[in-house]
Amino acid sequence: MRKVFFRLMAVGCLLALSVPAIAQTPDFQAMVNEIDASSSFKGQDFSGVFTIVTDKPGKKQKVSQIRMFRRDARDQFLILIQLPEADKGQGYLKEGDNLQFYDPTSRKFNHSSMKEALGDSEAQNDDFSQNKTLEDYNIAETGEATLGKFPVWIINLKAKTNDVSYDQIRLYVRKDKPLVLKQEYLSISGRLMRTILYPKYAELGGGKFFPSQMLVIDEINKGEKSQITMSEMSLETLPDKVFTKAFLEQAN
Amino acid sequence: MGTFGTLTTIAFRNLNRQKKRSFLLGGAIAFGILVVTLINGFAGAFQQNLAANMAQMNAGHVFIQGVEKTSKDKPFEIIRDDALLTKTLEDSGIKYEAIARRSWAEGSLVFEGKRVQQGVWGVNFETEPLLTERVKLRAGSWDRIHEPGTIILNDGIVKKLKLELNDKVQFELKSVTGQKNFGDFVLIGVSQDMGMFSSMIAYTDQTYLNGLLNIGPHEYEYFAIMLKDMKYTDRDTEKLTATLKERAQVFELSAADLKAVSTSASNMSSRYTKLQKLAKNTTWEGAKYRVFSINDTISFIEDVVNIINFVATIILIVLFCIIMVGISNTFRMIMYERIKEIGTMRACGMQRDSVRNLFLMEAFFLATAGTVAGWVAAGLFMGVLSLFNFGTNSVLSLFLKSGHFSFSPLPLSMLGNFALVAILTLIAAYLPARNASRLAPAEALRSSK
Repeated sequence: MRKVFFRLMAVGCLLALSVPAIAQTPDFQAMVNEIDASSSFKGQDFSGVFTIVTDKPGKKQKVSQIRMFRRDARDQFLILIQLPEADKGQGYLKEGDNLQFYDPTSRKFNHSSMKEALGDSEAQNDDFSQNKTLEDYNIAETGEATLGKFPVWIINLKAKTNDVSYDQIRLYVRKDKPLVLKQEYLSISGRLMRTILYPKYAELGGGKFFPSQMLVIDEINKGEKSQITMSEMSLETLPDKVFTKAFLEQAN
Repeated sequence: MGTFGTLTTIAFRNLNRQKKRSFLLGGAIAFGILVVTLINGFAGAFQQNLAANMAQMNAGHVFIQGVEKTSKDKPFEIIRDDALLTKTLEDSGIKYEAIARRSWAEGSLVFEGKRVQQGVWGVNFETEPLLTERVKLRAGSWDRIHEPGTIILNDGIVKKLKLELNDKVQFELKSVTGQKNFGDFVLIGVSQDMGMFSSMIAYTDQTYLNGLLNIGPHEYEYFAIMLKDMKYTDRDTEKLTATLKERAQVFELSAADLKAVSTSASNMSSRYTKLQKLAKNTTWEGAKYRVFSINDTISFIEDVVNIINFVATIILIVLFCIIMVGISNTFRMIMYERIKEIGTMRACGMQRDSVRNLFLMEAFFLATAGTVAGWVAAGLFMGVLSLFNFGTNSVLSLFLKSGHFSFSPLPLSMLGNFALVAILTLIAAYLPARNASRLAPAEALRSSK
């Protein structure tokens, strides 16, 4: 009888201890949506200057600079390349699913891809667009760890279909705020291919956060990385003409 | 003997009388014809040889690809129903030598900070044993090719990456549906350098590559048919398309699409590229097939050959404009030399037209003899050039026949060149001939020239 009593007590204690733990486990689905929402600018326009410093082994460091204009409500963005001088005037215009690249030398627009690298850097066009993570991915697994001095949630995302570039993405999200500190992109075979670190965020007001610094690392070709620094970020309304081909053509 | 016969005899005699001059004029014509025939002959064989060599490289003359769409309407290549294609091939009645079922991946090879683009064939070496005999290695061997993750690379790529045998190289690629993936390869053999084609020639085990492409071990991307006779490539492609159309969905270029390929000046894309584009613009359910030939993949070469032939014709015209000046001057000289002879012939009753025709006949015979000599010289040159063996280990070998130059001059184009030369020579001789025919017999006889 005593044995049974002690066993029941032990189970009761374990249950009691586990209740706070269960209670502390967040709704990861909501967390991912919140992360996407915090860097989405629905109802507002966004503009900023991104300076990209790219290092590749055996090559001279390259500095490029782009000015970005985003209107998420209409799924539009315009990227204008300002540096290096040789690429100045080139740009991208995205409207819905259609991304066009403009080359001022030929004065022609060509169809481009969001997965394409921006210039010679490690950054891709879709690194700068709004995220709709749960449209393409399911949450496969979660965990927790410490990243630097920050306790983080680890969210493993698995692609819903075979259409997306990366089969798996791993997010490291700060526990105190829904901010991604690190994002890892994995291949179908589960190998790490690309890592993005977000060491700094800028608060743009209204609960909006945008990374003010990013480090994009190519995990296959060791030593290839791009550091992106954002400046002149603004949520001021932009004129409609900004999101037009004419704007890109006249930007020179 | 009629007037024509008499004139022919005199014309031949006159040409024979001034052997040195006739030889020089005929030689100039022969040189022009030689150059143009050589260019035409090489251009003709260039296309045939490239098609034959590309067919060897790609394991077939006629190909079938299956195309499906992802949930986001993006087309991708995959063949799942092998039985359908095998049965279709048998029913089409095409005479073939071999079938190859291959997978293909394009990606980047990465080694110690260096990166190069590379296409890799996934080969089933059980069903394609001849490949190991055909592709000669300059280092390593095919022995371990059945082991997963082993690769045969081209010397050009090996040098670029500074690889050595048994080095482990990383391969970054996309799955058939476009997802990024990554694999490791161990270099076990090095094939001969193929210059700009090096990035298209690498071989690995099909099952391993299929894993990287995220497709099943028995799925593949190309159903390649090596025909018994390559000259029936286009006919057999049509036959296979028609047979497959009866039992599955098949992509077909419309007459307008085909016209666009052949007429667009800026369009150097092949018929295969056009066929590929159809998949982007159409909607369908399940698998739809693309039947194409090696000629479709290199159809832009037809444009290159047409350009070469056009340039050759321009060269011929320029050469003959120069030669025409010589012919015109020579015939003017001949007229002065034969002024008394012309007077005598005219006094004996020869008509003006006959005198003019005599000169024109001489020019025509000269053009004919020069052209024939040019053809003979071109034939000799072709024979001598085809004796040299340039080997099969360079990019040049793609345009050669087993390492030898080969030539396929088109009879129609040769006759066209002859007609052009004859007309230009007649034009050059016409004025002196007309002047000769207009000479008054008495004045000609009195002439002291």
